[in-house]
Parts: sequence; C-alpha cells; structure tokens
Amino acid sequence: MFEIPDDRKYLESHEWTTTDGDTVKIGISDFAQDELGDVVFVELPDEGDEITAGDEFGVVESIKAVSDLYAPISGTVVAVNEDLFDAPELVNEDPYGDGWMLELEPSSSDEFDDLLSPEEYREQTE
Amino acid sequence: MNFDQARFSRDDHYEPLLSEKDSTTVEVDDDGVLPDDLTRDELTLPGLSEPQLARHYTRLSQMNYSVELGPYPLGSCTMKYNPSFTEDVAADPNAAVHPDRSDRTIQGTLGLLHDLQEQLAEIGGMDAVTLQPPAGAAGEFTGILIAKAYHEARGDDRSEIIIPASAHGTNFASAALAGYDVVELPSDEDGRVDIEALDAAISEETAALMLTNPNTLGLFERDILEISEMVHDAGGLLYYDGANFNALLGRARPGDMGFDIMHYNVHKTFATPHGGGGPGAGPVGVVEELAEYLPSPMVQETAAGYELTEPESSIGKVHGFGGNWLVLVKAYAYIARLGDSGLSDASAKAVLNANYLASQLDLEVPYGPFHHEFAATSGDRDAADVAKRMLDYGVHPPTTKWPELVSQAMLTEPTEVEDKASLDDLAHAFNAAYADSDEALETAPTKTSARRIDQVSAARNPRLSWQALGDDE
Amino acid sequence: MTAGNGRRDGSPYAPHTDADEAAMLDAVGVESAESLFDIPEDVRFDGEFGIDATDERDLRESIANLFARNEELTEFLGRGHHAHYVPALVDDLSRRSEFLTSYTQYQPEIAQGFLQALFEYQSMLVELTGLPVANCSMYDAATALAEAALLANRLRRGASGHRVLVPEHLQEGRLGVLENYLDGADMEIGNYPMDDGAVDLDALSDLVDDETVMVYAESPTVRGVIEENLSEIGDLAHENDALFCLGSDVVALALLEEPASVGADVVVGEADALGLGTSYGMGLGIFATREKFLRQVPGRLVGASEDAEDMRAFTLTLQTREQHIRKERATSNICTNQAWVALRTAMHIAWLGPDRLVNLATRAVTDARDLAARLDDISGLQAPVYDRHHFREFVVHTDQPAPAIANDLAGRGFAVHTLDDHHLQVCITDVNADAADRLVAAFEEVA
Ligand SMILES: Cc1ncc(COP(=O)(O)O)c(C=O)c1O
Repeated sequence: MFEIPDDRKYLESHEWTTTDGDTVKIGISDFAQDELGDVVFVELPDEGDEITAGDEFGVVESIKAVSDLYAPISGTVVAVNEDLFDAPELVNEDPYGDGWMLELEPSSSDEFDDLLSPEEYREQTE
Repeated sequence: MNFDQARFSRDDHYEPLLSEKDSTTVEVDDDGVLPDDLTRDELTLPGLSEPQLARHYTRLSQMNYSVELGPYPLGSCTMKYNPSFTEDVAADPNAAVHPDRSDRTIQGTLGLLHDLQEQLAEIGGMDAVTLQPPAGAAGEFTGILIAKAYHEARGDDRSEIIIPASAHGTNFASAALAGYDVVELPSDEDGRVDIEALDAAISEETAALMLTNPNTLGLFERDILEISEMVHDAGGLLYYDGANFNALLGRARPGDMGFDIMHYNVHKTFATPHGGGGPGAGPVGVVEELAEYLPSPMVQETAAGYELTEPESSIGKVHGFGGNWLVLVKAYAYIARLGDSGLSDASAKAVLNANYLASQLDLEVPYGPFHHEFAATSGDRDAADVAKRMLDYGVHPPTTKWPELVSQAMLTEPTEVEDKASLDDLAHAFNAAYADSDEALETAPTKTSARRIDQVSAARNPRLSWQALGDDE
Repeated sequence: MTAGNGRRDGSPYAPHTDADEAAMLDAVGVESAESLFDIPEDVRFDGEFGIDATDERDLRESIANLFARNEELTEFLGRGHHAHYVPALVDDLSRRSEFLTSYTQYQPEIAQGFLQALFEYQSMLVELTGLPVANCSMYDAATALAEAALLANRLRRGASGHRVLVPEHLQEGRLGVLENYLDGADMEIGNYPMDDGAVDLDALSDLVDDETVMVYAESPTVRGVIEENLSEIGDLAHENDALFCLGSDVVALALLEEPASVGADVVVGEADALGLGTSYGMGLGIFATREKFLRQVPGRLVGASEDAEDMRAFTLTLQTREQHIRKERATSNICTNQAWVALRTAMHIAWLGPDRLVNLATRAVTDARDLAARLDDISGLQAPVYDRHHFREFVVHTDQPAPAIANDLAGRGFAVHTLDDHHLQVCITDVNADAADRLVAAFEEVA
C-alpha cells in the first residue's frame, strides 16, 4: 500500500499540496514515485515564475519514463527544492518530505476546493 | 548451448580506453602556416601505433554481439543476415564518386539509383520513389512533408496526423517535427485499429493516418481498405511505415492497400547491416498524384542516359546530398540476388519462423494471428529481467516492454535467417529464463562481458566522455 | 528443392531444409507457410515484380560492369563532402561482423565493444570542439545544422521571433534541409552577406536582433575560406541572446581555433572526411554542445556507469530525450543514426594520432595555398578569388566561361566544381595531391 498522508490534498495527476501559513508546498505522491521508478532528473520553474492551476510546471524523469508535473493551484513560485537537482533520488526516498518540489504563494484560495481529499485520492489509486 | 562472452578486464574496468593507453599533446601550427589567432594552441589525443589499435578494436569487437554470432530477434528491427558479397559490391572503387560530379560522368551510379527507384516502386506498389532519406525516421519526415505540400497546394490547411498508440516513437516525433498535432488512436481488443475510434478521430483537420502493417504486434490490419476509404473520404492521406514490410514481400503491396505514401526500411527488409545503430536508408514511395512533391533530385532515364531532375513542386532536400549511398548499393545487390522468388520466400520463412518459435514458447502470446513477429508476455515476470537472463544463453533477447498494449511485452522477430536448430536454442533460452528464479533474473546476465549495468547512475550523473571521467574519479 | 546455396529458388539466406520446414509446419499445425498469412483476398498481390534472382558471381560482375560506366576522373571536389586517404585498418576492423552486423546497443552488457568505441568517438569530438557534450552521430552536417536550429528555438520558446541567420555562402543541401526542418516549427531563415568570402560583420550586426534564436557561421566555409572573426560573431549572437552555432569539419577542427574558445554554443559539421572516403555524399553529422543544453541534445548519447561488479561499463543514456520514450515531444525524430561511420571515423582519428592529424590539417592549408598560387600564374585564371586563408579548397575566377573549362578538364580526366559562368572551385587533399601537377598542366591547356 502506498502512503497517502492525511495532512494534504491531491491532484488526479498525483501531485500533493500542503498549506503552511501563507504558502503551499507541492510534490508528487508515493504512488507516483513508485510508478516512475528511480527518478534521475527533475525540471522545475524558477523562483518568481507564475504558474497556473492545471498547467504543466515541470518534468520528472526516470530512466524509462517522463512525466509532466501539473500545478494543483495557481500562484507565484517562492522557493524551489534545489536539492533535487543534485539528488533527484529524494523524490523516491521521501516524496512527502525532502522530495518536495515547489513552494508557492497562491493567487486565490478557491482552487483548493477542486483538489482531492486523501480519501478520494486513495480511491483513485486503488 | 553454453556461452561466455569475451571479457578483457583490468582493475576496475574492461578494455582500457584509447585515452588510457596513450594521451599525447601536440602544439598546433608552430610553423606559422596561419596567423596565431586562427589556430588552436594544442591538441590532445591518443597517439598509438597500428598494431596497438588493431588489438584495441579487435578486443572491442569481441565484446560485442552481432547477428553473425547468433540470433538477434529484436521485434520490429528485422535483424537478418547481411550477405557478405554486398560489402564487396559497395566497396567497388568505381562507385566512390562525389555527388557533385556531372551526370554524364557517373552513369553507372545514376543507373543503379534509377533501377533501385524502379524496383522499390514495384515491390511497394508505388509510382515513384526517392532514395534520399537516410533512415526510416527521415523517410517518415519526408513522407509527412510531402503530405503537407500536397494539402497546401490545394489550399487545404490541415493540422493533425493520426497515429495508433502501438506505433513506433519515430512516427509521433516525425509528425511533430513537420509541425503537426498528433492524434493518438487506441487499439481495439484484437490489437488492431479501432474503427470506431478512427471514425471519431478523422476530421477535416486530418492530414494523414500513419500505419504500420502488419502492425507492431505482427497483425495484419484486415480492415485496411475500409480504413483507406475513411481517411480518403475525409480528404486525408494514408502513410505506410515500412518497418514491417518483411512480412509481406510478394504477397501484398502498400500501394494496393490504398496507401499513398510509404517508406521502405532497407536496413530491415533489404538486409543491409545495422552497423551498431546505423547507417540505414529510408526511401520513400508515393502514388502518381504525389510524385511532383518528391525531394530533389530524382534520377530519370532519358534518351541521352540518366539525369538528375527536380520534381515540379519538390519539397526540396532532406539530406545534404543523396542519402546513404553505400547502404543503397547493398540493398540493390540484395534485391537483385533474391529476385521475385527469393523475396517472396524470405517473407514466407520469416512468418514461418515467428510462428514456429512462438509454438515452442512457454510464454503466452495474447494477439494473433501474427506474421513475422509476435508480442509474447512474460506475465508476472519482468520482461527486462527475463531478457537479461536470455543473454546468458548466448542469444540476443527480443524488444522488451513495447508495444505497451501487451504488458511485459517481449516483441520477437526471428527473421527468415534462423534454421530450426537455432530457433530451438532460442526457444530454450526464452523458456529457461522465463522459468528461472527471481534471484537468477535479477543478477543476470553473468556470461556477458559486463554484468548488469546501473542505468540510474548513468543518467543521474552523466559521464559522456573520457574527459568527464577524470573529473569524477 | 535443396536448402542453402544450392537451392534454385527461394532466398539463399533462408536455411531451412525440407525436413525442417515440414517439422516446423507440423509444430505450428498448418499445411504450408502460405496459410499463415492473414491477408484478405482483396488486397493480395499476385503479380510479379519482374526481378530475376541472380547468382552471386554473375551479380558481382554485372554491378561491377555498371560501375565501370562511371568515368574515371580525378576529383578535385569538396563543398561539404571531402575525402582523405582511409587506412586499410579502418576497412578491416570496421568490417568485422561483430561491429557491422550488430544493432543499436539496447542490451549494453552484451554490446560493450561498440558502446566503448562510440564513447571514444564522443570523447574525440569533445577534444576537438572543446565542448563537453558530443552525441554519437547525426545523419550528416545538414541535418545536424537543422537540429541545432531546433534546439536553439526550444531554448528560446519565449523569444519574439524565431529566426536563424545563415551565411550567404552555404552548401545548397544544407540550406534545403534547414528549410524543411524549420518549416514545422514556424521558424524562418535569414541570410547574411559575405565580404570577400567571409562573414560581413557589419551586415551581420545589422541583422541580428531579438528575433534571432541562432547565428550560424562556418569555418571553413563551403568555399574553403577560414573565418577570421569567429569570436566577434559569437559576441554578436550572445549580445542578442541568440546561440552561436559553428559549422566545421573533423579535420579542420584539429587546426583551427577551438570552437569553445570562440564562444560556440553548438558545433555541427561533417566528420565523414575521416574514415569514410568518397561515398556520393554519405555523411556523419557532428553534434556537440554545452553541458547546460544536455537535456535538449538530439540523438543518442553513450555514457559511463558501473556494472554489478563495480566495473566501469558503458550504456546508452538520457534516453528520455528520444522518440521511443518522449514520442512527439522528443528532442528529435532520429532513431537509426550513423553509428558505424562514427566507429570508422574514430578509428581513423586514432590511426592518425594528434601529430598526423594536425599535419593533415596543416597540409589542407598549404596545399590549397600552393595550388591556388600555381593556378593564379596561369593567364586567364585568378586564384584564390578571396584574399583569405583557405582550407582544402578555393574559388578560381576564369576569364573564359567556367562551364566550358570544366568540361575540357573532364575531357582531360579531372572533375572540379562549376559555381557560375566565371567561377570554378577546386579542392585538394592527400588523395588527389599527387595529381596536382597534371591538373595544373591541364588548366594551362584549357584556361
Ligand atoms: C515500426 C518502426 N517504425 C519506424 C522505425 C524507425 O526507423 P529508423 O530507425 O530507420 O529511423 C522503426 C525502427 O527502429 C520501427 O521499428
């Protein structure tokens, strides 16, 4: 069984978000990292970039697969996990912790309602 | 059969790199032939003697598997035996001419190209053929450019190319390269084109449908005439990916099935050597109506002899010169050696071999009836691991995990060149690997020059030259 | 009917005996191989191609006879397809069937030999270009140039325009291929003029702007001119956020300024001048670039890794860039490439070693200079037309009509390029240098 922590919300395309004060963090789920296999490369936007809910914001690659990353919500990138550039394996080892990808300042709060709850996401992956 | 691949090793590496055998730095142009600022300062390369090089490359060759060593049943790749004499034919010094020679001084070269154009047209049921594209993918791109030119000439701006999900990656990439959006078509439950889905996908935006027939599961698209009619009724064109043409020689021709454009993959069907990844050649055939768009130049026979000509509305160039000449010569020689009866027999034996091999396997083959290749499934065993284990039996494994329609696919194409005994060895390798323990699979291969190679480390930490090794070690 | 080479019809390369065939059909459960074909009646072909099978010996003779119809001319031809003497070692070793009859290295454990040879080829290109990433081949210089332009365009997705600037003097095939590859990306090509055979810097500087994604220059140019202002061209490109792509060839790279040192972001060109010989334009496209564009590189890359016994081993890597994984979003559609030519070129470079390679390149300058001077002494000819340094080849002005002179030269056994009514182009390398005296004598008669 894959880990699906209750403290966050999910996207059908396997990204997660957690809210931490004014900002939200984004990463990919345990299920997603397992499907991909050993992650070898992560491409992320730059700090200051604007991203839009539903759009691609980056790419994660394993040896034999490439997956686009979709933005769960819109906002401005305030931090990027630069550790992933040298150690993409963090996505596999700790997808909900050190394997986080972006920190955003959301541009609206409505979009959170469109995300999946942990239960809903669990159903989807079963 | 027992097998141990040659293995030259020392310390933590196999045969040393050339740069480890010698690295010599020379000062460049100290004679002042050019002003100083126009030349580099120095150049560092291995400086080895001929006997040292002969040994280096001979050792490397021994650490390389090839179709002359054993079966190489990579599905969709058609690894046939490459007749020796074709190498000699291509090495004829009289054939070594520059592409800018005037036509009348190279009538031999042009004559061969002309005959090959004609023969390929005949074999494919096409009306005209260009030999310029240097590989299958380049042929696809050429073909799609021709389709584009055709539509544009009619003032018909179309934006989409339809491609079955089971098609080769190059089809998608070639269509995109030509500026088209790709519409991916699912397969039906029999593994063929889903007619309903096709109907839904076709529109006035459809520039072409690209099909491989037999498809990448080895299945003949039985509804091809209906498909052709659907595409043509909507004003689209039908493109044939010739990678699997070895299945049909002398029995069916793309032109007769309604295809307007096709590429031939001569390094598959016509037995030219793959050379470790290339060069190949991907001639493109078209029906009469599209001949005016072919790349320039074409070879034409006139009363005065052979001439290079430019088709009326030519798309222009797809290769700097005339494509991969040496490969074309070998294909010409192969076709002439076999003739009608040999070509048709090659297909019969290729199909027989695939079917016989499948009949000897313990693995399930979910789709059929197949022709020259089949997609077996390794079920709950990892196909890539089974393939690695097969190496230990001295055979090359099939293409794995593609097409994706079959889970844990092992796409197998033995070609006509294997005899029964060799197919039996191959079947044994399949079955033994498939039945082997998890541990054996995960630790395989153990008989090859190198053991299982860490792909993850190669990609996470790219070291792409001997210069980069120095940084790291 | 007997099997093998004794059979009268059927493929000589399908080894089935009658007994084997019967046993195989039996195992499959069919009467004949024919019944395995699942081809509907309405698309069956029952005609003939009309190609007669030919005995190997007869066929070799008839093809040799066909090739004998090519006139035996001593070629002084270049313009993007150059020949140097290829040592026997290259033919001998590259034709070993372990190399020649292998496929792309999808199972690296059993294909270390070829992978290492390609890794060595990449490394040689890294040395020659000074750029850290070189792929293991493109089809030819023309497609490599086109791929470079597409790379530049991908990097500059946000740019206001998508223009590539190319020199006025560009081999026709390269321009044609570029046009076709750029069409689908809605890119356009701009031409900048030459000044006395080299880049007209002022004109180029007027043309480069923020719509430019790449500036392409060659050294040597298609007319043999060694470019003197590469750094300035690179600066012009970079000041406008465009990439600088340099076209060269594998021999010239051994002598001329190192591309990395003049700011080249991508190096393309032909490597077929070593290892292949004259082959009707068959090529080997060089593609080298900077580390930061690694993920955008088209084509295959061989990398080093370790195997399960911690031994250094080689494998194709970063394959997610390629079509079989990324499909329509791949960096290129290339699959089959020119690997075997790359093997031959690497062998030839290794055979020469740095000393002889630099000498070969130096001779390309001095031989061209000497030959041009000798032609210039002939009344009715001026050579070289451009007051520049040349590499292998140069343009000759003829007072008499050039096509007629070329024709007369052909009658005397020589092939040269005709550029227009009063210009010829002549290329000299180690394979035709010993005929230079005779060429000069012939020119004396016909000029
Ligand atoms: C089905 C199919 N289509 C297209 C191609 C591309 O051909 P090439 O590798 O010659 O470019 C291949 C071969 O790799 C193939 O198997």
